[in-house]
Amino acid sequence: MTVFKAFLKILDKNKFIVIMYTVFLISFGGFNMQTSDNNTNFVASKPNIMIVNNDGYKGITKDLIKYIKDNSNIIKLNNNEDTINDGLFYRDVNYVIYIPKNYNNDFINGKNPKIDIKSTGDYKSSYAEMLLSRYIKVANVYQKSINNIDEIITKTNETLKKEIEVEIISKLDTNSLSKATFYYNFASYSILACLIYVICLVLSSFKDIKIQKRIIISSTDYKKINRQLLISNSLFSIVLWLLYVILSFILIKDVMFSYQGMIYLLNSLLFTMCATTIAIFIGNIVYNKDAINGIVNIIALGSSFLCGAFVPMEWLPDGVLKMAHLLPSYYYISSNETLKTLEVFNLDTMGPIIFNLLILIVYSLLFIILTNVVSKRKQKIG
Amino acid sequence: MFINNFKYSIKTLFRNKALIFWTFAFPIILGTFFNMAFSNIEKSEKLDIINIAIVNNDDFNNNVVYKTAFKDLSDKNNKDRIFKTHYTTEDKARKLLEDGKIVGYLKIINDEPKLTFIKNGFNGTIFKYVTEEITETSSMVKNISEEKIKKAIATGNYNIDYESIYDNVMNLIEDNNVRINNISSNNLSYTMIEFYSLIAMVCLYGGMLGVVAINQSLANMSNKGKRISVSPISKGKLILSSVLASYITELIGLALLFIYTIFVLKVDYGSRLGLDIVLALVGSLAGLSLGVAVASVFKSNEKAKIGMIISITMLGCFLSGMMGVQMKYVIDKNIAIINKINPASMITDGFYSLYYYDTLNRFIFDIGSLVIFASLLIGVSYISLRRQKYDSI
Repeated sequence: MTVFKAFLKILDKNKFIVIMYTVFLISFGGFNMQTSDNNTNFVASKPNIMIVNNDGYKGITKDLIKYIKDNSNIIKLNNNEDTINDGLFYRDVNYVIYIPKNYNNDFINGKNPKIDIKSTGDYKSSYAEMLLSRYIKVANVYQKSINNIDEIITKTNETLKKEIEVEIISKLDTNSLSKATFYYNFASYSILACLIYVICLVLSSFKDIKIQKRIIISSTDYKKINRQLLISNSLFSIVLWLLYVILSFILIKDVMFSYQGMIYLLNSLLFTMCATTIAIFIGNIVYNKDAINGIVNIIALGSSFLCGAFVPMEWLPDGVLKMAHLLPSYYYISSNETLKTLEVFNLDTMGPIIFNLLILIVYSLLFIILTNVVSKRKQKIG
Repeated sequence: MFINNFKYSIKTLFRNKALIFWTFAFPIILGTFFNMAFSNIEKSEKLDIINIAIVNNDDFNNNVVYKTAFKDLSDKNNKDRIFKTHYTTEDKARKLLEDGKIVGYLKIINDEPKLTFIKNGFNGTIFKYVTEEITETSSMVKNISEEKIKKAIATGNYNIDYESIYDNVMNLIEDNNVRINNISSNNLSYTMIEFYSLIAMVCLYGGMLGVVAINQSLANMSNKGKRISVSPISKGKLILSSVLASYITELIGLALLFIYTIFVLKVDYGSRLGLDIVLALVGSLAGLSLGVAVASVFKSNEKAKIGMIISITMLGCFLSGMMGVQMKYVIDKNIAIINKINPASMITDGFYSLYYYDTLNRFIFDIGSLVIFASLLIGVSYISLRRQKYDSI
């Protein structure tokens, strides 16, 4: 009990750290969740377009604006170049269309007026450009063969309104699953950072030379002390894991009650176990409290950045992902990513996940062995 | 005496391993992580070749319009290529779709196209849009040709040359240039903000150096401070030399980071490097003044003061986009005042304006804000440091 009490005391002193990483998790893991649209019908994705109209609101200008409006999210920013430029830079707007003066008249007269645009160059802006050039193409063709502007507009619209049949085959709530994956991926950072920080601090407090000398001459068996330390650390890990699991149930809700939800839990539990063994290993080689802070940041941030806890794995360069194979976080996160689109549960589809879970166990064992090797060498103190 | 204290301050600062780690090594490590994680994001946001499948049935093979259109759009030598197309059976297409190998597949039944996707998304929308475009074009050709034929008949011309009408219409459609003129800036790489806010972080972390340097000459902070305070040296010289020592140390760290980000990480600072350096100099002065102010105004121990600097820096960098670039935009757009008084944002915004804007108005505003920020804090520190005397301590 004495050991456990000491553990709680140290934890209490550092509760701020635990709170901080939890707040990170809630604010980043939680805020990233937009409203769910669990749609089995096809919904066209829409780019963000801003239109700066320097012409009057009539004729072809009016109809072009209407067409763009129907197929995109219109963004209204102040018509001020700096605001528009900022909007483009931060991707609030993907595409800006500047309709020139006298566009309507010039169009009718067959001048094929030039349109200035600003574009972010990503796929959304490419789609926006398809919309714009498609409209102009069709309108131009009719303009050459028809003289009446109203008729040109009617014909253009008639041509553009063709819709083809689309079927969506997935019944999965991919949106909620992506949220869960994002949350649990981010949790790997919080779990790793919290556990390493707290456990290392506790261990280094016990390893302080004066304290250790007192412990050694006390009547309590050192094995008992070690056992109690191990139990307290594991207890802390479990409590932290439970806390994050409960938070996930509050933030993500339904999906957590499905089969996928269960695997998220199992996966994160094994990862927590692995992180605990890593923390104990580090606690056994580093005694300097100042150094712990730096080590926590490098290990937790490093594995989170490299393995895709912050930036989704699919966006990471291949070289980085190859390097990430060395880190336990990689296997944890890649299971989460697989879960995102896992629909059928059988040995075939579950194979990679089971493999990843096993790897986490292997890593845990590896760190336990390493800890024993290191601590055996460090048994003697002066 | 000035030089003596200066020399020893530099030595103490460089021997403080934790301090040097946080101000020198940590930013470089963090920058490396940023680079690894973010270097691919913008590339993967470009419109890539979309993997699709087409059910290779008779209906498709007999439909010349679709067949040629998709062949063209999947042609490796076409610079406007959008698709990589697998021609296969429906079962195989479905399998490809379920395995995530393709975005969706097209099946033509009685000349009516039908698309199948696994979920909603941009690539699917583009696939649908392009397919519709093909349908629309073919119906447009039909429409106009019919129109022309009708007209020909109406004028009493029964000797219609269908071929030439068709060619005419095709020419009309193909000879169609859409005049779109892109006037956006080339410097649109938003992940640069991450690196700019990293520089801002280092500038503000310089405050830690300021805290440590000032603390060692304060009588109420350490025994060393007491000894220094009773020595017959003017306070002004002491403080100035300590501050200068931490400024120089900070600049060395900053120079290392600049060199690393420019030559190794290839961060783009725009074309006006001289102004970037001016901004860094002023920014680190602001960071230092923050440290000096915290050290002189608050009476708590060194750990608490450093904690304060770290919290202010982290909050500032968070608001200026270090943990998510959009944050800076959201704040700038909605609660602009916060980033107008946030030194991290002034620095980040300064680099941003040098990178993205041709004009210097915004940059000058940022530099001005930083100078005001630094002078205010130096003023505060001056007031609280002067005439500090102890009868006993």
